[in-house]
Amino acid sequence: MTDSTPIVFVVDDDASVRDAVRRLIASVGLRVETFGSTREFLGARRPEAPACLVLDVRLPDVSGLELQRELAEANIRIPIIFITGHADVPMSVRAMKAGAIEFLTKPFRGQELIDAIQEAIAKDRAAWNEREQMAELRARYDSLTVREKEVLKLVVSGLLNKQIGAELGTSELTIKTHRGHVMQKMRAESLADLVRMAERLTPSTPKYK
Amino acid sequence: MIRMESISGARRAASALLLGGLAVTLVAVALAVTLLLRNVVSTAGFVFFYTAVVAATWFGGKWSGSLAVILSTLVVEYFFIPPLHSFGVNRESLPVFIEFAASSGVVAWFSARRKQAETALEDARDQLQIRVEERTAELKQTNAQLLAEMAERKHAEEAYHEARAELARVTRISALGALAASISHEVNQPLAAVVTDADACMIWLSSEPPNLEEARAAVESIAQQGTRASDVVRRIRAMFTKDTPERTSVQVNELIRELGALMQTEAFRNQVEMQTELAPDLPAPTGDRVQLQQVIVNLITNGIEAMSAISDRPRRLLIRSAMQGLDEVLIAVRDSGVGIEPKNYRRIFEAFFTTKAQGMGMGLSISHSIVEAHGGRMWASANSDHGTTFQFTLPTDHETGS
Repeated sequence: MTDSTPIVFVVDDDASVRDAVRRLIASVGLRVETFGSTREFLGARRPEAPACLVLDVRLPDVSGLELQRELAEANIRIPIIFITGHADVPMSVRAMKAGAIEFLTKPFRGQELIDAIQEAIAKDRAAWNEREQMAELRARYDSLTVREKEVLKLVVSGLLNKQIGAELGTSELTIKTHRGHVMQKMRAESLADLVRMAERLTPSTPKYK
Repeated sequence: MIRMESISGARRAASALLLGGLAVTLVAVALAVTLLLRNVVSTAGFVFFYTAVVAATWFGGKWSGSLAVILSTLVVEYFFIPPLHSFGVNRESLPVFIEFAASSGVVAWFSARRKQAETALEDARDQLQIRVEERTAELKQTNAQLLAEMAERKHAEEAYHEARAELARVTRISALGALAASISHEVNQPLAAVVTDADACMIWLSSEPPNLEEARAAVESIAQQGTRASDVVRRIRAMFTKDTPERTSVQVNELIRELGALMQTEAFRNQVEMQTELAPDLPAPTGDRVQLQQVIVNLITNGIEAMSAISDRPRRLLIRSAMQGLDEVLIAVRDSGVGIEPKNYRRIFEAFFTTKAQGMGMGLSISHSIVEAHGGRMWASANSDHGTTFQFTLPTDHETGS
């Protein structure tokens, strides 16, 4: 239960700002962990819970923007809220384009940060759920036999059992049995449901084309 | 022309007459004296004729002398060489006659030479006198000119110093501009903590039940951060408000540390890694803190700018302090930037010399003169790998120039 409580990571080299942000986040009942540098943050264990990162742009070792890029490259998708002492338009544009939730200029109001954190956590939770569903779906798919996978592919492409039998060189009856197993293992309630699942499982078919 | 020639011709004739007269008179006097003395002293000889020849040559010149020689010879031959009272010369007295003629001629010649030498000497002396006078006049004039020039120069120098002071103020303000981002960050940091703490405090107080522990911690932090912000403001004021130079003992390392902190944002914005390497226990030179700050800010700003185009190596700025010899403190700012073209090394400290598109060319020139006014030296050298090192010294004894 405690493990799934959302957690906020704060990286800022200024101890006073770090402490103030920690107090603020704790006041709304969120878990918070603070770090003085990028290195410290990277060395910390990531818990299995929705999370977000409150990141100072200016840091002694690796800058916040640099960390954002590195995390993206390492495929670590944690929503980021930038806080900065000096507003710099090109910098904030870069951060937002790279997917930052918010770019706050110090001094900011507590509510602004809390709102941004809530938004970030909601987003991460959604992503979290999505990832879990995907993992589940993939597990189901992986439980299929090779032949069942072939059948699935042909079913969702719109072929009838008879046509599939001809394609695979077996009887319509055998295909029907396979198809029943596929529906059962994938926990699909209808053909439409199965098609949707197959679509989600196929990474080579981008949704936005 | 013709008139002048005729005048000088008449004058020449008159002077010839005068000189001829002089020779005749002298020879006549010699004759009279000799005739007179012959009756008193038997061995008077021809000494008076020699004297007459010498005098005629001396006072009348070559021609007058020659005339005196001829006249004397004739007179002596006529009056004293037998046969007396005739112009004939007998065999016995021929040697006496020749001796007299020759010796009077020689005496005249020597006398003429002597006179010539004397005259030449006199002329030379006169010439010298004239020349000395001329030179003196010239010198007087030059002196007057020099004095006027000096006055003018002093005037120009005063104007120059005024202009320079004004420029120093301007560059100090532009240094402030360079620091603006750092300063706003320095002030924003505690302000951010204050605002966040205040908001957190409100939430803790309005929760049910209020969490007084957390609220108190937040308020405490607010007070602390308020003090920190005011410290920053005070430091910046101290840095830029003074206009008259002050001489205090300056802790060089403290100065570098403070400026390093202030310039950190600027460095960060330009992706420059700024490091310091400070020698411990440095003696404190006497100087104007604000001016020395200006010098260091200028060097740091230049270093950062010199690296703005560098992308194939780390942009590193190293500020170093050390002892130089026994009685000087050295401050060096080393960058890994584009470096200075060798042909420009001699000119970088000149006023209005710049290689930057936006530069005024005053920063280094003013820094250089500030360091010199402190009795120190400033120079630049190329690093063995990349970039440039600017360094300056400050004497640690109390002989700190003007």
